[in-house]
Amino acid sequence: MSELRDHLLNTPVLAIALTLAAYLAGLKAFEKLGRPSWCPPVLLASLLTAATLWLLSIDYTDYRRGAAWLILLLGPATVALGVPLYQQVHHIRALWRPILISLPPAAMLAAFYSVALAWALGASPRVLASLAPKSVTAPIAIGITEQIGGSIPLMMGGLLITGVMATTCVGFLAKRLRITDQRVLGFVLGVNGHAIGTVRAFELGPTAGAFASLGMSLTGIFTALFLPLAWRVLGV
Amino acid sequence: MSILRGFLWLLGFLILGDILVTLLGLPISRGVAGMLLIAIWLMLHGRLDDDIATASQALIRLLAMLIMPGVVGVFFIADEFAGQWLAVAVALIVGTMLSVLTTLWLMLRFMPKSARSSEESTTKAGHPHE
Repeated sequence: MSELRDHLLNTPVLAIALTLAAYLAGLKAFEKLGRPSWCPPVLLASLLTAATLWLLSIDYTDYRRGAAWLILLLGPATVALGVPLYQQVHHIRALWRPILISLPPAAMLAAFYSVALAWALGASPRVLASLAPKSVTAPIAIGITEQIGGSIPLMMGGLLITGVMATTCVGFLAKRLRITDQRVLGFVLGVNGHAIGTVRAFELGPTAGAFASLGMSLTGIFTALFLPLAWRVLGV
Repeated sequence: MSILRGFLWLLGFLILGDILVTLLGLPISRGVAGMLLIAIWLMLHGRLDDDIATASQALIRLLAMLIMPGVVGVFFIADEFAGQWLAVAVALIVGTMLSVLTTLWLMLRFMPKSARSSEESTTKAGHPHE
């Protein structure tokens, strides 16, 4: 049995098939559970994959080597994010002042708060580098994490928790403070909660969704430019 | 064939981004450089090509699946970061609450009031990531 398994692991086919199957099953389970915002399909699919690897006693590094063929597509997929960005340009033109004033401090502080807190609690430089891009959409965050020497799995976990936390927080605050401005809520969701927040914003309405995509792309770009630079300057 | 042509465009911009990052020694990833280049090119061009729109839509819909193998790794790193999980949890939970509050305050402070801000809240839209 284990010989057969090792033979199948010689090509990336098994890892790719496992990824596709788990992702589709994750989507289905997500629908069955009534689309809970605290448990995105990616999380369900990852849990399923991890359980399968454990059951078949496949090493994560073996799986990841095969799945690298899929991960390769993240390159062109990141480039593809430039298209929705271009489609949002009219919002930037109309509201460039509040966006220009709010975005840089918001994106910088999102990274700063968590890095400062983790540093104060004695986290290692590698953990700090994995937490810094936590508000950035995953394809861009992967690039940043590689640049500044963080752990990609840890960053991914942080990304998920951040997205879920940000969505919950915004929902709570919107209700408590009676905020109804779709543009504000969408932007806050996108800047802090990346793709998870953006999905939630589209549920609030198209305006919120558009501003969330805008906030997400701008946060990603801004953080991708400033974080590696800050890391270089600080010499961490 | 439209999707293939669009995919080739995306690969072209990825390679262009890679060249730019390598030659100038920029501290950003080649994907982000390619994304900025294609956005700038589209703005100069002033019109979205159908091939590029088709390919990018298809890839963006797959994004969640493409990042999944990385997420799976979370379940296998418990030992590697032993003793740091409290720091990680506090940083993520408290840090995110603080940054949501800050962004909300900044936006409420600087966003001009809109008369038609809440009327669209009842209409539903499709999901970007499925």
